Amino acid sequence: MTRFLAKRFGQAVVVIFFVTVIVFLLLHSVPGGPAHGILGPKASPQAIAEFNRVHGFDKSLLQQYWAYLDELFHGDLGQSYTLNQSVASLIGQRIPKTLVLTGMSTLLALVIAIPLGVWQARRRKGLTDYAVTTVVFVGYATPVFFLALVLVIVFTQKLPILPAQAPQTQSIAGLFADSRALILPVLAGTFATVAAFSRYMRSAVLDNLAEDYVRTARAKGASERRVVWLHIMRNSLTPIIAMLGYYLPVLFSGALVIESVFNYPGMGLLFWNAAQTSDYPILLGAVLVIALATVIGSLLADVLQAFVDPRVRGAIK
Amino acid sequence: MKRPLALAVFGAAVSLLAAGCSSGSQGSATKGGTPQQGGSVTFAMPPNATPNWIFPIGTPGHLASFNGAIRQEVFVPLYSYDGSSGTVALDEKASAAKPPVYTNGGKTVDIKLNPLTWANGQKVTSRDVEFWFNLVKANKAQWGNYSAGDLPDNIASFETVSDSEFKLHLTKAYNPDWFTANQLASYVTPIPQSVWDVQSRGGKVGDYDRTTEGAKKVFKYLTGEAGKLSEYASNPLWKVADGPFTVKEFTTTGQVTLAKNPKYTGTDVAHLDTVTFKPFTSSDAEMNVLRSGGVDYGYLPPLAVAQQKTIERNGYQVKPWNGWAITYIPYNFNNPAMGAVFKQLYIRQAVQMSIDQTTISRVIWHDKAAPGYGPVPQTPVSKFLSPVQQTNPYPFDLNKAKALLTSHGWTIANGVASCAQPGSGATQCGPGVKAGTQLKFTINAQSGSTETDNMMQEVQSSLSKIGIGLSIKAEPLNSVLDHTAQCKPDQSSCSWQLSFFGTAGSWYFPAYPSGEQIFSSTGGTNLGSYVDPAADDLVKKSTSSSDPAAMQNYDAYVTKNLPVIWMPNPAYQVSAIRNNLRGVVQDPLANIQPQRWYLAK
Repeated sequence: MTRFLAKRFGQAVVVIFFVTVIVFLLLHSVPGGPAHGILGPKASPQAIAEFNRVHGFDKSLLQQYWAYLDELFHGDLGQSYTLNQSVASLIGQRIPKTLVLTGMSTLLALVIAIPLGVWQARRRKGLTDYAVTTVVFVGYATPVFFLALVLVIVFTQKLPILPAQAPQTQSIAGLFADSRALILPVLAGTFATVAAFSRYMRSAVLDNLAEDYVRTARAKGASERRVVWLHIMRNSLTPIIAMLGYYLPVLFSGALVIESVFNYPGMGLLFWNAAQTSDYPILLGAVLVIALATVIGSLLADVLQAFVDPRVRGAIK
Repeated sequence: MKRPLALAVFGAAVSLLAAGCSSGSQGSATKGGTPQQGGSVTFAMPPNATPNWIFPIGTPGHLASFNGAIRQEVFVPLYSYDGSSGTVALDEKASAAKPPVYTNGGKTVDIKLNPLTWANGQKVTSRDVEFWFNLVKANKAQWGNYSAGDLPDNIASFETVSDSEFKLHLTKAYNPDWFTANQLASYVTPIPQSVWDVQSRGGKVGDYDRTTEGAKKVFKYLTGEAGKLSEYASNPLWKVADGPFTVKEFTTTGQVTLAKNPKYTGTDVAHLDTVTFKPFTSSDAEMNVLRSGGVDYGYLPPLAVAQQKTIERNGYQVKPWNGWAITYIPYNFNNPAMGAVFKQLYIRQAVQMSIDQTTISRVIWHDKAAPGYGPVPQTPVSKFLSPVQQTNPYPFDLNKAKALLTSHGWTIANGVASCAQPGSGATQCGPGVKAGTQLKFTINAQSGSTETDNMMQEVQSSLSKIGIGLSIKAEPLNSVLDHTAQCKPDQSSCSWQLSFFGTAGSWYFPAYPSGEQIFSSTGGTNLGSYVDPAADDLVKKSTSSSDPAAMQNYDAYVTKNLPVIWMPNPAYQVSAIRNNLRGVVQDPLANIQPQRWYLAK
């Protein structure tokens, strides 16, 4: 296991290195640099020259990349061009808020989707299965912005019982203190995720229902409840765990549409705005975080699968 | 994304000239009622506007958003111009000095300060203005507003007459209106020398700014402190205010709360206890909060203008906020393919006559935009506006537009005009236009705005009727800006032909709306490299001569010469102002005066 982890760690470092090279080169190969866009049409040639000097755009691409790597190895992700803050502090502010939103949405989605998937599989091709499938498909197909707007209109205007925006505090404690304001953004994030996870769960349970070990368990007199919730459930979780691992970067990269509609500045919006305003240090920092989350997520998925599935455990020794 | 460019000039537009311009009804939008002292008001900032700089000297990249508007409530500028009097004029109450007196043929400016006091009890003196000049002079490369030849290069010397009076000796004579509005008012702000003239935190205060070396160290220290956004509300440096408000809250996510300054000694005392500038992630998010009554002074996104009645029923007044701006599409006269075509005035006339500004304003903008026919803002009507611009020399007329092309040697086949008669004669295509050249233009346009998309499609449709093919290349605003550089024909960056910054791209003027930046051949934002010696001469006269007709002469010529395609100018925003919030003036210079706002009983 140690060897496996060391190997994966080595791969991760190489992957992240190449991600930084590619993103850096792509961004810095834009002719003219970002100065015109950031300083606006009123910028004088002197202001543009000063901006380029301060941010190293007057140097060669290699020198710029070396300076970036040098800062990175010293734990410095650079300074945003537009927000007058360091990228590390911006990401540090946004990630906890984003994780609260995406984490709670995903957790709630799992709590609903896993039992729903099992329940549907056991009643497959029944009326209730078709009915739930229809609802789930509608949920899956509904654009999040539309769903979010419907939630806002229904629960803040027609039936004014919830606030129209997410908590406006900067601290995590403050977010939970104003938990009513979290309900709509979390619900909006949950809806589509429930659909995805419940379909996976339903399909995995259906596969397992036909397995020999299920027949054996039943033959040995195990109760249906024990068969489903202990034997089938554990084996059916494998694809969900794999999916969750690869879902980690989604959790870290934020929920752009929900953040935008509910006035909740998180990672998604930070990344989107940085892309719109050519704020390269933020883009590079965010890509690095997402690359890290992707690598760690896939590693975690493997380890967790090994934990629940002895066959996988054997394979990675 | 709405109005970022308008915002980029927010700081610059805050101040500017004594011109006699009537601002129409918006100047007295919300007066009346029994004023109530105290109270709090929440003001919605445009999407993703995050104030990020408080030091009155901005470095490149820190001039945008609401920085200028917030800062001038805390640090009073030397001169402030706005529409609060019903005209775009010098606002003496919001300025740190009395109106300047120009002597010596316009080469010396005599300025007397108003009796203001810093929060530490010291008076605002000439030394505080000298401190600003010294810092800017020694660090002009790092000053974001620096443009070679302008401030501080045009100040030969600063002479202190007394604590409350100083003289500026200029390098040459300037138009006093232009110099006060577009130089002094735009940039100069007294800053507390008695506290800020230090080289390190806790360091001893000195006269370091009087040497170049010392001024560099002081500037480095102060910009370093200004880089610590999270300390804005607590750093003692920024507490030394002389304005009607002080900073109470300045979060890293962009929320700013100003509190009434109890130590303010000027005449423009704030009525409200606090004003909160609230950031929004999108205009939809703002609209949701507005509908639920969460802001006192907000706005309706363009697509939500139809909901005006609903918002009014919820206790708001809905009013467009018209800006002192023009909106246009620059031609790239240096484009290798189309530059020679754009240089033909009759082509530009044909294009202009194909723009149905009245219909665009009414249908696409729901009357929240107004047609514009020249280089001077048309709303409010001002003394700068020539009769030529007012009467629109090129009204929408597709038949005349088409006739202009066919009478100059173009034949239209398959909907596209080709040059059949090259040459410089009166009935030929014009110098530099080769035989067989087709009138096919490409425009880079801002993406993500329904109004811009619709306008571009309308223009495309009209142009196609006179034989001009228009390809629309929609890009994010910053890409459009990046791709619209001043260029030489042999440069790869010169491939752009037409560019439209869309709803965000109106050009907001200082109070004196001269065109040295956009329509003079040496202008820093003359994006399309428009070169016309006659226009240059008129621009120069408008900024250096004191002849009142100079601006109108410039306006009339440029209106007719069409250096760009004139487009309808959209309102700065469509505001929703709570009914009991009074004293609000929707300043055409896109500035705000929250010290004059009050809640009515």
